[in-house]
Amino acid sequence: MTDKQLKAEVEAWLAANWRGTATHKESFGRDPRAEWLAKVRDAGWAVPRWPSDFYGRGLADEQARIVERAFAAVGAPGAGQDRSNLWANTALAHATPAFRREIVPQLLAGEVGMCLLYSEPGAGSDLAAIRTRADKVDGGWRVSGQKVWTSGAQIADYGMLIARTDWDVPKHRGISFFFLPMKQPGVEVRPLRQITDEAHFNEVFIDNAFVPEDNLLGPLNGGWGVLQTALAYERSVMGDAARGPRSGAAGPKGDHALIGLAREAGKLDDPVIRQQLAQTIAWRVLNRLNTQRAKAELQQGTSSSIMSLGKLAMSRILHEEARVRTLLLGAESLLEGAEHPRAEDANFLTLNAYFTSIGGGTDQIQRNIIGERVLGLPKEPEVDRTIPFREVRAG
Amino acid sequence: MAGLTADERAALLDSLRRLLADRCAESDVRRIMASETGHDAALWRALADLGVVGLTVPEQHGGAGLGAIELELVMEAAGAALLPAPLLSTAIAAALLDGERLAALAGGYSIAAVAFAGRDDWTGRGDVRRDGAGLAGTARFVPDAAIADTILVTLDDAVFAVAREDAEIVPLPVFDRTRRLADVAFRGPATLIGDGTRIAAARDIALVGLAGEQAGGARRILDMTVDYARERHQFGRAIGSFQAIKHMAADLLLEAESATSAARDAARQVAEDTPARAESVALAAFACADAFVRCAKDGIQMHGGIAFTWEHPAHLYLRRARSAAQLYGDSDHWRERYVRALEVEA
Repeated sequence: MTDKQLKAEVEAWLAANWRGTATHKESFGRDPRAEWLAKVRDAGWAVPRWPSDFYGRGLADEQARIVERAFAAVGAPGAGQDRSNLWANTALAHATPAFRREIVPQLLAGEVGMCLLYSEPGAGSDLAAIRTRADKVDGGWRVSGQKVWTSGAQIADYGMLIARTDWDVPKHRGISFFFLPMKQPGVEVRPLRQITDEAHFNEVFIDNAFVPEDNLLGPLNGGWGVLQTALAYERSVMGDAARGPRSGAAGPKGDHALIGLAREAGKLDDPVIRQQLAQTIAWRVLNRLNTQRAKAELQQGTSSSIMSLGKLAMSRILHEEARVRTLLLGAESLLEGAEHPRAEDANFLTLNAYFTSIGGGTDQIQRNIIGERVLGLPKEPEVDRTIPFREVRAG
Repeated sequence: MAGLTADERAALLDSLRRLLADRCAESDVRRIMASETGHDAALWRALADLGVVGLTVPEQHGGAGLGAIELELVMEAAGAALLPAPLLSTAIAAALLDGERLAALAGGYSIAAVAFAGRDDWTGRGDVRRDGAGLAGTARFVPDAAIADTILVTLDDAVFAVAREDAEIVPLPVFDRTRRLADVAFRGPATLIGDGTRIAAARDIALVGLAGEQAGGARRILDMTVDYARERHQFGRAIGSFQAIKHMAADLLLEAESATSAARDAARQVAEDTPARAESVALAAFACADAFVRCAKDGIQMHGGIAFTWEHPAHLYLRRARSAAQLYGDSDHWRERYVRALEVEA
């Protein structure tokens, strides 16, 4: 099919089917737009890069982007999930054929809510040190342990879980990856109050919960490899975008919002402020230029080292933007509450910047990854890398 | 202006890189640095034969007829090799000249230096002014003036050409000996060759080319540093395995890649003459300058003692980075210009 034919087909389909405007959707939990998404899925527009016998159309990247652009042009959601749907892509790559057939269509339509069960109180940056256990029983596994930093756990149907299935091998080699059914007696969810005074995250206490045989993704004890696929999706999404101000209403928006804020604050003529505005805005624009170049290079088939830089860049952008906002506000930043929305924004953004610089792998872990995987620098010696996990010192 | 296909572009850059590896290795750079003029006529001839000297000269005047996009890529390669040659001056001159002068330029037979001396230009560059039909005053820090046969001078609304024998050219003792500068005093005779219409384009060529040079230099000194961090062992380990080094390298990669993105984006905006042109050129000017200085500075620190020696090339990159960061306005100047461009939109 030519690009032109494809464009005509997708546009005709949208004209015949798309009727509304998109409602906002958090990345976790069930999707209110499930009916529409199911339609998109069944028409093959959700994941056009996937094979045509499995919800896709076997399109090359360039043509798939034509589909995405057509959807974006009318504001219709649901396309491009072959790039962005963490859950479906992980399941496609690693689930058993039977479970894949069952779960993937539901994931593409947002019919099931999902959450991540990775981090533990004792396993943050050192994620392979998890102590949640999955012990083999008839027809599946019994899971016990504690997970943390779980978004959407209350409404999730499944959690993507890493748990230890072998304690007598080194830490990376005894981990398995599961889709754990969340709606069962052994799973208790407690909200976690954050520094922003919000509660997006939860602690999840798992006590003898059951996960069926078929919900194992990848090989038994091969969960670390599955996790790498899933983490790469998560990190690339975090480098592309981050939350803006919570109020959503206070002042100018976009890349150059700081210019408008400086004007409002009567400080746009201050040469020292102007230097800081330039530098801070530049970091955001440079990150966008990097992302564009990375995508262009990927399309040309040349590998790009830039993709892995986005999340680290975004951390600096968010921390620095919050700092400059505070600088512009001065003493007003001492206040909070609905009557002081600009102070609310500056203070919230200051605190929420850590969401990106700690979450999904701290900046320090990101620098290790960039140093090792992109620049080819050797790893630090790890004292626990070759000894059975049972003997690793913890605490 | 005809562009190149991706394959043709790759082939051109590949030939250039091979020429530079062969004729502009570190030992060549040091030889040229130590020479009186800082210019290697044979290398210049080879670059002219390859077509990069006349890269942006139109085809009917013997050039390759290419634009800012190709110039930026060529300057990345030149910057990586610390090429001591009047390549950028030539591209800027090509944006100001016409006719036969262009052919001599493209052929490598004539070298023109350019002094930007308008009020809108960066500060501290002398006091050139009209004097009757000619020019008076001094242009300071003019790149390649001592080897040029012609000095081009841009004022606010006029471009003059001055033959070298009509000017007093005083070579300066420069910190970066790979880029020679001179003060040029004018004593009257000057030929008015154009009004102000081409000056902005020439200035953008200067900035885009310099941004490319800086991005290429930043990436090369980073690569050298990372290579060394993989090889150098202390405490029984490659020093690059220590997070103290590894994290610096990761930060520098972000700077170097951002510089490359900024330089290439500016080249594209200039080539396509988009509304974002002024903004992206200003961004590239300070982002690339700062990235190169930081990569060169931290590169020396990460190497340790070996890079504190004259024999190690790291300081040559720092010298080049520091000269590039001043040449056409410093980063503070361009951050201010960037905000001015954004203010119009916001």
